[in-house]
Amino acid sequence: MTIYTGTGDKGKTSLFSGERVSKADARIDAYGDLDELNSILGVLAVHLSAKEELVAELQQIQSDLFQAGAWLATRPDSAAIDSLQEISAEQIAILEKAIDRYENELPGLNAFILPGGHITAAWAHVARTVCRRCERKVVPLIDQSMKAKVTVPYQRLLVFLNRLSDYLFVFARQCNRIHGVLDKPWRS
Amino acid sequence: MKTHVSTYAAVLLKRQWLSNKSFGIIISTPSGFEFEPGQRIRLSCGGHERDYSIVSAPKESDLNLCIRNVTGGKVSGFLSTAEIGTSLSIHGPHGYFTYKPSPRPAVFVATGTGIAPFCSMARSGLTDFTLLHGVRLPEDLYYATQFQQSARTYVPCLTESNKLPANAFRGKVTEYLEKHLPPAVYDFYLSGRREMIRDVTLLIDESFSDSLVYTEMFY
Repeated sequence: MTIYTGTGDKGKTSLFSGERVSKADARIDAYGDLDELNSILGVLAVHLSAKEELVAELQQIQSDLFQAGAWLATRPDSAAIDSLQEISAEQIAILEKAIDRYENELPGLNAFILPGGHITAAWAHVARTVCRRCERKVVPLIDQSMKAKVTVPYQRLLVFLNRLSDYLFVFARQCNRIHGVLDKPWRS
Repeated sequence: MKTHVSTYAAVLLKRQWLSNKSFGIIISTPSGFEFEPGQRIRLSCGGHERDYSIVSAPKESDLNLCIRNVTGGKVSGFLSTAEIGTSLSIHGPHGYFTYKPSPRPAVFVATGTGIAPFCSMARSGLTDFTLLHGVRLPEDLYYATQFQQSARTYVPCLTESNKLPANAFRGKVTEYLEKHLPPAVYDFYLSGRREMIRDVTLLIDESFSDSLVYTEMFY
C-alpha cells in the first residue's frame, strides 16, 4: 500500500468538505500548524518515554488534535460538518484540571521565565509557541463559521487551543521540576 | 452522521462469484451494528484485516460485501474458500464517504469493486446521480441492473472489450469525462484505484474547477 496519490502534485489539495484548494489556503495553513504541533508532541513524548502517565496524557492530546484538524479541514457551510465530532467541554476541562494539578505542584512565578531547561521542557515550550501560532490562524477562520452560523464548534476549538497553550506552559515547567531543573527567570 | 464504532461478531451466510476475479459475500448483521451508505467495515480473519465497503443498504437484513480476489491476498483468499457458517470479526463502521445532499449534480466515478459504496447508496433509495463504472470487461459490471434502474445516467466504461453493452463507452472513465461531461460545477465522488483517483482529480482541477471532490481509495 502506497501513501502517495499524486493529486497534490500541482499545488492543490482536498479539504474534508470536498473543496479543491491551494496548499497555501488559510485552512491548510492552520491545520498544517496543528500537524506540526502534533509532531512536536510526539518528540516530547519520546523524550518522556519513562514517564508513562505523562506520555498517555500527551497521546490523548495528539488524538484530540486530529479531531480538531478535521474541523479546520471542513468549511462550515458544508454538509460534511455532520460527520464531525465536536471538541467537547469535557476535553477542555481535562486540560484545565491538569493545569491546576501541575500548578499546585510548582513554585509560584513572579517573573517571565526563559524557555528551556531540561530538553523536555524546551520541547514543551516549542509546542506552546506552535500552538499559539495555530490559534492565531484559526481566529480568521471563525469569521466564516459566523457567516454559516456554525459558531459553537469553532469557538470551542479556539478555547481548546487557548487552553492547550496554557497547559503546555505549565507542562514545560513541570518537565523541569520532575527532572530537577530550575526555571530560569528573565532578568532585564 | 455519527455512527458508533465497535467490534462485532458476524457469520458468513453466503458467497456468490460475480466474475472470475470477484465475489460477493453475505454476512449476518450483528445486533446493534449501524452504518451509513458508503461506509466500510474492517474484516479480520487469521490475524489479518482488510477494509471493505458495504454494498447493501442499512435497511437490509444482512450485510453484503464485494470482494476482489487478490492474488496472495490473505483476507480475500480466506473469504473465497471459507465454509458457510464461519465466524468473522468485523470492526466499524469506518469512513466518511457518504452522500452529502447538494444543489450541484452528483457524479459518481468507480473502478472495479470501487462500485460498492455507490451500490449501497442506490439500494438506500438515491437516484439522482450520474455513474461511470470503469472496468475491463462486461462481466465486471456486477451491479448493472441496479444502476440501470436507479441512476439518472449510467455509463459503463470498458477498456478491454470488443462487445459493448448498451450505452457503454469504450475507454477509461477519464476519457469519458473529458469528452462527454458538460462543463459545470459538480459534486464528484471517486471510488476505486489510486491511479483513477489521481487522474480524475487532476482533470477536475483543470476542467471542472470549483467542483467538490470526495474520494475513497481502494488498495
